[in-house]
Amino acid sequence: MERVLCVDDDASLLQLYHDELTEEGYTVILAKDGKEALKKLEKEAPEIVVMDIRMPNMDGIETLTAMLGKNRQIPVILNTAFPQYRDNFMTWGAEAYVIKSSDLTELKKKIREVLDKRKTK
Amino acid sequence: MATKVVAMILAGGKGERLYPLTQDRAKPAVPFGGIYRIIDFTLSNCLNSGIRQIHLLTQYKSLSLNRHIIQGWIHYFNGELGEYINLIPAQQRVGEDWYLGTADAIYQNIYVLQMDRPALVLILSGDHIYKMNYQDMIAYHRERQADLTVAVIEMPKHLSRHFGVLQVNEDFRITGFQEKPEVPQTIPGQPDWILCNMGVYVFNTETLVRRVIEDAKDPHSAHDFGKNVIPAMVAQDRVYAYSFRDENKKTSKYWRDIGTLDAYYEASMDLVSVDPEFNLYDRDWPIRTYQPHYPPAKTVFFEDGGTGRTGGAYNSLISSGCIISGGKVFRSILSPGVRINSYAEACDSILMDGVNVGRRARLNRVIVDKDVKIPEGFQIGYDLKEDAKQFTVTESGIVVISKGTILE
Repeated sequence: MERVLCVDDDASLLQLYHDELTEEGYTVILAKDGKEALKKLEKEAPEIVVMDIRMPNMDGIETLTAMLGKNRQIPVILNTAFPQYRDNFMTWGAEAYVIKSSDLTELKKKIREVLDKRKTK
Repeated sequence: MATKVVAMILAGGKGERLYPLTQDRAKPAVPFGGIYRIIDFTLSNCLNSGIRQIHLLTQYKSLSLNRHIIQGWIHYFNGELGEYINLIPAQQRVGEDWYLGTADAIYQNIYVLQMDRPALVLILSGDHIYKMNYQDMIAYHRERQADLTVAVIEMPKHLSRHFGVLQVNEDFRITGFQEKPEVPQTIPGQPDWILCNMGVYVFNTETLVRRVIEDAKDPHSAHDFGKNVIPAMVAQDRVYAYSFRDENKKTSKYWRDIGTLDAYYEASMDLVSVDPEFNLYDRDWPIRTYQPHYPPAKTVFFEDGGTGRTGGAYNSLISSGCIISGGKVFRSILSPGVRINSYAEACDSILMDGVNVGRRARLNRVIVDKDVKIPEGFQIGYDLKEDAKQFTVTESGIVVISKGTILE
């Protein structure tokens, strides 16, 4: 089963990701900020990361930056309510960019796309 | 409005093959031509090309370089007009590493581009000596609608294993890239010549950012423009070669990477020849630097019609503040404040700031770093075996005496 690491400081959102993505057949790993995410990346070796940008301790962009060159090029989908982050050059290191919503249709579609693209590579 | 161009100058080179001149300073801060530092040539190119937004990326032993920039260069840039020269040391903003390679140096400073938002980024090396109007290259880049333009210089084929060699089609679009090849691809129609990468790049900012991030993701990359980023771009982006137009205006184009002590010595000695390849005297292309105020150079003594104790210099560059008192200087470069004492002789040598050559001492093909005192009667450069016990002696027999050496 493909493992998805979801990173968000909002516990209720993490619960939502967990329930809906498990239903889709993924193994879901959760982290509440960047620091925890980096630890889980090492331990659990997920195939993909879905990450919020604004988080305490270590935000999504710092985490993304810390991942580059390590972690065997695990793709990251940035998931945020603030579209102005698209202008931040560092977000260009992400594989995809999704506007945050409680409707996960778009996010699920992107996860599938990114994983399929990886497989065909 | 003109296109906004920001220059990023890579000035972190350790210059290991220039040791011991780089014992206490980064390669761009190594003195050259009496009063200059190597970085002055690139910075003068920027000023003479109207590039007035500059980030200088430093890392190793940057104190000497920083001081030189602050004393000599900052005042040329007017902050009120949005001009600047920024010194950016490796800050470990994005990790715990120093710059791993040229592309990593840019990657680690993407935040700088994010603040400036230039349309184009001019990437330069702080290690090279040449004269180039970057505006010509920028115009060429825009004309070709290129993503990246690489400045190239034609070199004889047998030098290929020292350079990055580019292959181009008839439009000068780059089709291939070889790093230091034994068997190079030559220029179409010119089987004895190759196109060499000068380490001068014009990038569209967006392409630059995307490609250095991609490169940063690749754990197998050496994070170098020449080795990794450009070869990867050739297949997917519009990458063009720009044949370097030399502002030096001599018959052959001048561009030197002062990589080794012998290359350093040779490029320096060119300056004291009758008609140097590299012209320091072109008033249309001034080379600026920092020099402290010294009194004029002076010669002392002329005894017995020049046959006795006589101070003089022949075929040499003599900087301000030098006193040649009763000794002789032939084909040498004297930085400011050098003193040559009676009956002493310096031939084919490079003496840096504050060097003092004692009475009856003789120097032949010697590079003496700052403030070293050559004691009375010393002879250096006449017995290389003996010299090698104490000093660095290069392949071609140049003796190098490092800063802080105490001779007795």
